[in-house]
Amino acid sequence: MMRGNAVSHVKVRARGLRRAALLLALTLVGATMATFTQPAIAVTPPRVGIACTTGVGGGATTPIFNLTTKTGYISLPDGNTAFMWGYSSGFGAFQHPGPVLCVNAGDTVTVILRNTLPEAASIVFPGQTNVLANGTPAQPESTGSGAITSLTSTAAAGGGTVTYSFVAANPGTFVYESGTNPEKQVRMGLFGALIVRPSAVPSGGAAGSVASEYANNRADSRFNPAEEFMVLLSEIDPYQHQAVENGKSFNMNNYHPRYWLINGRGYPDSIADNGASWLPAQPYGALAQVGEFDRTAVPVDQPGMARYLNVGTEDYPFHPHGNNGLVVARDGRPLEGPTGEDLAFEKFAINIGPGQTWDVIFKWYDAENYSPSNPVPVTVPSLADQSIGVFYSGSPYLGTKEALPPGIQSVNQCGEYYIISHNHALFQITSWGTNMTGPITYMRIDPPTPNSCG
Amino acid sequence: MSPDPIDQAHRNGTSDPKGDTGMIFKQPFSRRDLLKFAGGAVAIVGTGVWAGNVLLPEAAIAAIGDPDLYLAGTDGWIFLPKTPAIPPFHPDVLAPDPFTTYIFGFRNVTGLGDTQLTNQKNKAQHSAPMFWTKQFDPAHPVDFTVQLTNLGLALRPDLFDAHTLHWHGFRNVIPFFDGEPSGSVAVRTGRVFSYVYRPREPGTYMFHCHVEDVEHVQMGMTGLVFVRPLQDGQNIGGHTQFIYNDGDGSTGYDREFAMFLSEVWAEAHWADAHIQLPQWSDYRADFGLLNGRVYPDTIAPNAPIDAAASIHALAVQTDPVSGDLVAPDGHPELQYQPQSSLVTCNAGETVALRFANLGFREQAMTLAGIRMRVVGRDATPMRGRDGTDTSYETETISIGPGESFDVVFTAPAHTGPGFDTYMLYNRNYPATNNLAPGGMGGQATEIRVYAPGGLRAQAYPNDWGV
Repeated sequence: MMRGNAVSHVKVRARGLRRAALLLALTLVGATMATFTQPAIAVTPPRVGIACTTGVGGGATTPIFNLTTKTGYISLPDGNTAFMWGYSSGFGAFQHPGPVLCVNAGDTVTVILRNTLPEAASIVFPGQTNVLANGTPAQPESTGSGAITSLTSTAAAGGGTVTYSFVAANPGTFVYESGTNPEKQVRMGLFGALIVRPSAVPSGGAAGSVASEYANNRADSRFNPAEEFMVLLSEIDPYQHQAVENGKSFNMNNYHPRYWLINGRGYPDSIADNGASWLPAQPYGALAQVGEFDRTAVPVDQPGMARYLNVGTEDYPFHPHGNNGLVVARDGRPLEGPTGEDLAFEKFAINIGPGQTWDVIFKWYDAENYSPSNPVPVTVPSLADQSIGVFYSGSPYLGTKEALPPGIQSVNQCGEYYIISHNHALFQITSWGTNMTGPITYMRIDPPTPNSCG
Repeated sequence: MSPDPIDQAHRNGTSDPKGDTGMIFKQPFSRRDLLKFAGGAVAIVGTGVWAGNVLLPEAAIAAIGDPDLYLAGTDGWIFLPKTPAIPPFHPDVLAPDPFTTYIFGFRNVTGLGDTQLTNQKNKAQHSAPMFWTKQFDPAHPVDFTVQLTNLGLALRPDLFDAHTLHWHGFRNVIPFFDGEPSGSVAVRTGRVFSYVYRPREPGTYMFHCHVEDVEHVQMGMTGLVFVRPLQDGQNIGGHTQFIYNDGDGSTGYDREFAMFLSEVWAEAHWADAHIQLPQWSDYRADFGLLNGRVYPDTIAPNAPIDAAASIHALAVQTDPVSGDLVAPDGHPELQYQPQSSLVTCNAGETVALRFANLGFREQAMTLAGIRMRVVGRDATPMRGRDGTDTSYETETISIGPGESFDVVFTAPAHTGPGFDTYMLYNRNYPATNNLAPGGMGGQATEIRVYAPGGLRAQAYPNDWGV
């Protein structure tokens, strides 16, 4: 079942790739920073990588975001759809997850929430301090008898608004999510990512570098902004969503996730482009398209960067194959000792807890420099004697493409490599029984330029 | 999602006999296909791009000789406590006596003859044979080659599943040697493939088949692998064996024990044996396993090991005729679970424990009464980039799926008589009770401390030394 699914999706993707490749050639390579903002502003998102929404109005250091709670539907890998709640940007259509809000450290950030849902809603900003709501400190709300109804100040049901503001003091990756009835509203999709970039090159940073190339205020947190990616992990119990859609109550004692998602999509949708037309409400792809890390480059090559966020209910052990990430920050704080000692650690299983964010720097290179002139030291069996993967080029070597036996289809374009990343709680890479879906994505490694990837 | 009708047909239809996911193209290669190849010459000439090496093996440039290790993937049966039963899933009514549970797994078939090799179909073990190699030394480059064959699934001939070897955590591997079948190739029944490794980073890793990952991993094609550091053999800090190239002996040890964590969801194993599909989101770990067994079987002996042949893997002695595994002494039911988890040591010795978890749940391995020092995680020494020591002491390591931990502890003074016992167990108690009321089971074992000099040196990892 899923096999066919993967195949057909990859076909769809291939069409999208050609389209997008043209676009890419025309517009961007390092356009990860491109904006993806108000629908009235026709800005093309980057094909892969983080699609930032930047503030509208306000000054350079006082961005304003308009978020509106809306309802809508998302597509799941088994063919189901799920009814969702979400934060959308301005008057934009429903989207899942919420917009990726990008600001700079030190900015005074204003978020105006307009709530169209049938119940009060809100936003909490874990990791931010001194958050104001309508100009006064945001506070939990409770009933007259003292029961907490919201972790923070709310926008009333049916069109109410609330204006949050805070100074984004620390660079890093943060979650924002509903603080109202969160066991329902967060699960329904009221969450998103907030990325705070350093306002200046850190002390000791490389000459000629710019602030946005750093994950935080440490000089050793530098990365290549063209290879910056989001890994936002979540889960869905379809019965909860059905109950909300039908206006019924849902007993959280019966909560049992059946779907797990990455950036609001399940594989194979996860590797489709940002803004893929067949996923109108799920704008964020998760394909990590990179070049091979050049160990000999002068000046030195910079690694890629993955911002992990977990908005689910349990630890998700995410495993990037062949690519141990260096965890340089957690929850928007660099991993360092009291006098600046480096406490970063390398991992091949990014076991991220609920509500946590991990900033992970990574680089991939072929440690053995295998190529047709430095071949793998082994007899390569006949291709007809092997099972051929859909992404396989027919050759062990980066940038080499071999013809495949008749009847074998591959979506490989130009001898690029595909290396998987996935949740290693393996029952979670399923979609209500459809195996090998869910939180899976690939790192696509393009051959060195010039190449024929288009 | 996509309105494409072909896509919908793919969603609804099932050309896969299991009806579940295949990340790879499974192309059964029949005589008919072969004829098509032969008859396709015109078309091939017509396109002018299809090179001849599709049909012929490509000669290796360097002579490679025999592999260091030869593994086979197949199905088989293992033993888990029969009571309490989990009807109808456990014990499986199809299981031949004395076994209970259907598995997929690996076998070490290094050195077996062709007929013996064929005999090992349906004789998989769990956990898979632990293996190890020395860190690649650029000054004396030697490749580490693991050959894999696929013996097929005796009970499920309808599943023509390929197998691969994925060395989980191996850095900067090319897709060709990664074993992830979508990005490269996988091994069909009756075929072989050689994986070549130059492990440049010591520490503890794990391996598994990556075809139909959810299923093949749960079914048991999982094991532990570790890389010995180049520093081994030098005398640093009073040790000659180390987990890492620490430079100061802080990861040195006298004895080493691998602790491989896996889980069995009885329904999934039963389903594969009975041509059914489990609903994976219903997953539960009915049994937590250490090195493929549950307590108290974890403290049963290793199967007889051929120490001299255990160069890169635990070489379990085999029947000289059939090539089948020789069962541990007194435990015929553990014939296909040959690896013991009992830790034995002399008072004052430093003991290394290598943990890896390929279950689907986070576990909490607790050592009561002895402090453990975590010196490595995910095959990485506990050091910041500036050398800051980030190792730490603990009683409990929380180990998620796909994570590894390297810990050392010093065996406390011996009080005797006999040996002193300390429990190493999973603090996540549902994985530590074999479903039975009372009593410890599952992911638990014992650490036995003897008087100084009571045990001889280890001949191989997990050797009791008695």
